[in-house]
Amino acid sequence: MNSHHFLNRLLISAGVGLALCSVSFAQEAKKPVVGFAQVGAESGWRTANTKSMRGEAEKRGIDLKFVDAQQKQENQIKAVRSFIAQKVDVIVLAPVVETGFEPVLREAKAAGIPVILSDRRAKVSDDSLYVTFIGSDFIEEGKRAGEWLVKKTDGKAVIVELQGTTGSAPANDRKKGFADAIAAHPEMKIIKSQTGDFTRAKGKEVMEAFLKSPEGKSITVLYAHNDDMALGAIQAIEAAGLQPGKDIIIVSIDGVKGAFEAMVAGKLNCTVECNPLIGPQVFDIVEKVVKGEKVPKRTPVAEGVYDESQAKEALPTRQY
Amino acid sequence: MTAGTASILPAPEAPGPKSGATGWKVHAIVWPVLALMLLLLFNLLFTPGFFSIEVRGGRLFGSLIDILNRGTPVLVLSMGMTLVIATGGIDLSVGAVMALAGATAACLISRPEDSPLHLFDVHGSLPLVLLISLAVALLAGVFNGILVAGLRVQPIVATLILMVAGRGAAQLITNGQIPSFEHPGFEFIGGGFLLGLPFPFTIAVAIVLLMLLLVRGTALGLLVEAVGNNPIAARLTGINAAALKLTCYVVSALLAGVAGLIVTSDIKAADVSNTGQYLELDAILAAAIGGTALAGGRFSLLGSAVGALVIQTLTTTILARGVAPELTLVIKALVVIALCLFQSAKARELAFRLVARRAQ
Amino acid sequence: MTLATVPQPSLGRSLIPSRQKLPLLATCMVLLVLYVTACLRYRQPAFFNLQVAINLLGDNAFLGIAAIGLTFVIILGGIDLSVGAVIGCSSMFIAKMVEEHAWHPAAAIAVALLSGTCLGLLHGLLIHLFALPAFLVTLGGLFFCRGLGLLISRESIAISHPIYVSLSSWSISLPFHSSLPVVAIMFVLLLVLATIAAAYTPLGRYVYAIGGNEQSALLMGLPVARTKVIVYAFSGACAALAGVAATIFMSSGNALTGAGLELDAIAAVVVGGTLLSGGVGGPIGTFIGILIFGVIQSAIAFEGSLSSWWARIAVGGLLLVFILLQKLLQPRDHQT
Repeated sequence: MNSHHFLNRLLISAGVGLALCSVSFAQEAKKPVVGFAQVGAESGWRTANTKSMRGEAEKRGIDLKFVDAQQKQENQIKAVRSFIAQKVDVIVLAPVVETGFEPVLREAKAAGIPVILSDRRAKVSDDSLYVTFIGSDFIEEGKRAGEWLVKKTDGKAVIVELQGTTGSAPANDRKKGFADAIAAHPEMKIIKSQTGDFTRAKGKEVMEAFLKSPEGKSITVLYAHNDDMALGAIQAIEAAGLQPGKDIIIVSIDGVKGAFEAMVAGKLNCTVECNPLIGPQVFDIVEKVVKGEKVPKRTPVAEGVYDESQAKEALPTRQY
Repeated sequence: MTAGTASILPAPEAPGPKSGATGWKVHAIVWPVLALMLLLLFNLLFTPGFFSIEVRGGRLFGSLIDILNRGTPVLVLSMGMTLVIATGGIDLSVGAVMALAGATAACLISRPEDSPLHLFDVHGSLPLVLLISLAVALLAGVFNGILVAGLRVQPIVATLILMVAGRGAAQLITNGQIPSFEHPGFEFIGGGFLLGLPFPFTIAVAIVLLMLLLVRGTALGLLVEAVGNNPIAARLTGINAAALKLTCYVVSALLAGVAGLIVTSDIKAADVSNTGQYLELDAILAAAIGGTALAGGRFSLLGSAVGALVIQTLTTTILARGVAPELTLVIKALVVIALCLFQSAKARELAFRLVARRAQ
Repeated sequence: MTLATVPQPSLGRSLIPSRQKLPLLATCMVLLVLYVTACLRYRQPAFFNLQVAINLLGDNAFLGIAAIGLTFVIILGGIDLSVGAVIGCSSMFIAKMVEEHAWHPAAAIAVALLSGTCLGLLHGLLIHLFALPAFLVTLGGLFFCRGLGLLISRESIAISHPIYVSLSSWSISLPFHSSLPVVAIMFVLLLVLATIAAAYTPLGRYVYAIGGNEQSALLMGLPVARTKVIVYAFSGACAALAGVAATIFMSSGNALTGAGLELDAIAAVVVGGTLLSGGVGGPIGTFIGILIFGVIQSAIAFEGSLSSWWARIAVGGLLLVFILLQKLLQPRDHQT
């Protein structure tokens, strides 16, 4: 190896390095800095949530450090650690799963950085590890879907369920809440329950299989853990020559725009809202926390249940 | 170890993946086909209604039709993947390229305001939509090809770049949304029916035939096998390995683009974060089940096609039988291992010996 | 048999076999360029901070531990796709046993490590005895362990056993307000052991020899079968150990932990200079590969202004820049 040659190459690479860092921006002083460890960008819901957070931060002149964990808990822990190292003023964490954040939350507490949990709860043994939890209650959402269905069907239904990603918190809780709500009605039965991974394509494929099973013809209700799967399943129901919304009653969760459009077209019956636009509420709390004011441990989010009758009116106001 | 008696001659059962096409007494495709038959036989016996096919609204309707329809994306991907693997490479980016092509098509059609493609107006012209989306896929293939063939980066890392960045680019195109669209012409690609059969299946058959013609009808297949089996010897015989590899990566990306268009058209929306996720593994699995050597060299396009059908049959079976989601993966694992053993000459030999011993 | 102790003159003399020294040096240089660039770019708050550097070790510890086991498999010319799933499954097993069946953590950890080793052993036996492709066998292992983890429990379980709580909060204090956590220590210890094993033990030499040319290794009378099975078992053990590290890191077990981690691990190994075709590479390269991915991820967290998609594109772009630099610094005859 020619050492001269090697030196040349080294110089070139050093040059590239310098070129890369010359683009750096100057940091403005004295803006509150907030670190936001987001779950990912896996759905339209999530993107709306991110947009709401970033938009609100910009409006209020808050420097938001945003990290997308790509649905991986380890990435999220890294992000929180990095925020601690960067000495941000407040950390907002939307936990990928409920457990496993205790050690890193302890570190944040030791560093004197308050943590706000958004969207999903984190199970911790010590409540003082976070300031407040702001977001939806997945069990409650499943329950609301179930309760709406009980009313709609007078407690008689042959149900198929499209679950979210196996093992994920919303899938576990929405399943549990729904099962609780229909437990008192012996004539409501879940005959099939499969995972559709929260995606349209999987929702469609699994619904196709449900419809082709020997019990397929007896299905009267579809419960989907999110709107995307319901929208996919609607296509499968139509392809089977049935009318979604009439032959099979469909209830799902999230309240995305596409679900409202489907309700207006009479193809979906009900969606339980899970509101992603919590940026303003989160930053209200952030500002209070920065000022040192006390905030309640649980901040509820305004959410509703929408059925076909309200869909047309609500559709123009839907932002996600 | 009986090292003392080790012979200089090639071992009769040459171990290692590079052993090439030795030791196959029956045609290799027999094994994946047999596996497929076994799976179907299982369903014939134990899954009521699996074989029933009805005609509903001029379309065939049944689990078997679902297998043909749902199996198409992996089948199409596996054609390109097989070629890439045969050159001794691997293409991890196919899932991301699917998302990229799908996002391009969906945004060209629906033109959401926050998409960078909003400025382009193709007036819903189907040929233009297809052309531009596939051109994007082609560019992705050229990128992979240049890294692997030109700069000689290890294929797994080279295609990992696009696997990560490609999905990011797709999200950039849709601005993180899931743009849905209405376009009867485009919707036909993934959701239409031709002669009662799902149109994606027609596409799949056409692609398999085209690839067979291209690869086995010309010397391309031979050259690919030569490069995969022994790159140095191939170079010495004057084969332009770089150009050949580049071609294979471009073909793989183009086919990934086609698969992406099918999936996007099928759900009438570009679900960029999920389209094609983990399908690269399924495509590799299909190739491996079909008898393609993962270290390069020996390959079988028909085998991969059957492999893709095996995977989809398994998925459809699991769905049709209502297996609990937690159990799904365990069953998939057992079937994969069983398939492996089934294909292994050594395992079969052992099984025959055991059976023979018991018979005595 | 005297043939079993074939002398390998070029290997084993130095810590790293000489043929790999230059590519490894090039990889180190690129890591340095990357790190210095990040330090220059992010000054307020400072990227150049001991705790940020230590976080690279601690945060990537379980990825790193799994990747070290994987390194040997790849040097051998094989692959192990099951590592991520083994992490998820073993973390779930430990959490379930400690929390719901009142096992002592040491017992749960021991059983988890043993099971991981056995699974690796099974992989190795299947691959060697039946000449099956490693990709398929270990993909089967991936599906199996992921499914088994979910069967143990769909919901993640927090571990509140006092031993675990103290393990996850215990660390060695270092100057500049920084501290070295347990998982980082596990990672570094394993790295040292693996490096010694690769360079100074007969087993390590066999691995390189078999990966370089299995036929020749066989003809030389090296214990090919035994080595292969041991290496897969070692990878299984490392993955289970990574699962243990994950439970310490997160004080919980989750069946979905490590989903897709196998690709990150393979990428780190390969970026670290190990060839997928076998015979070349080493644990130190993998360590540097892990640090490179760690620096890229930290830099993006420090940047903090990138949207999800630009962050992905940036990771891909930086990886590209890095690989091009690596190629540039590497002499031609070492490229493959």
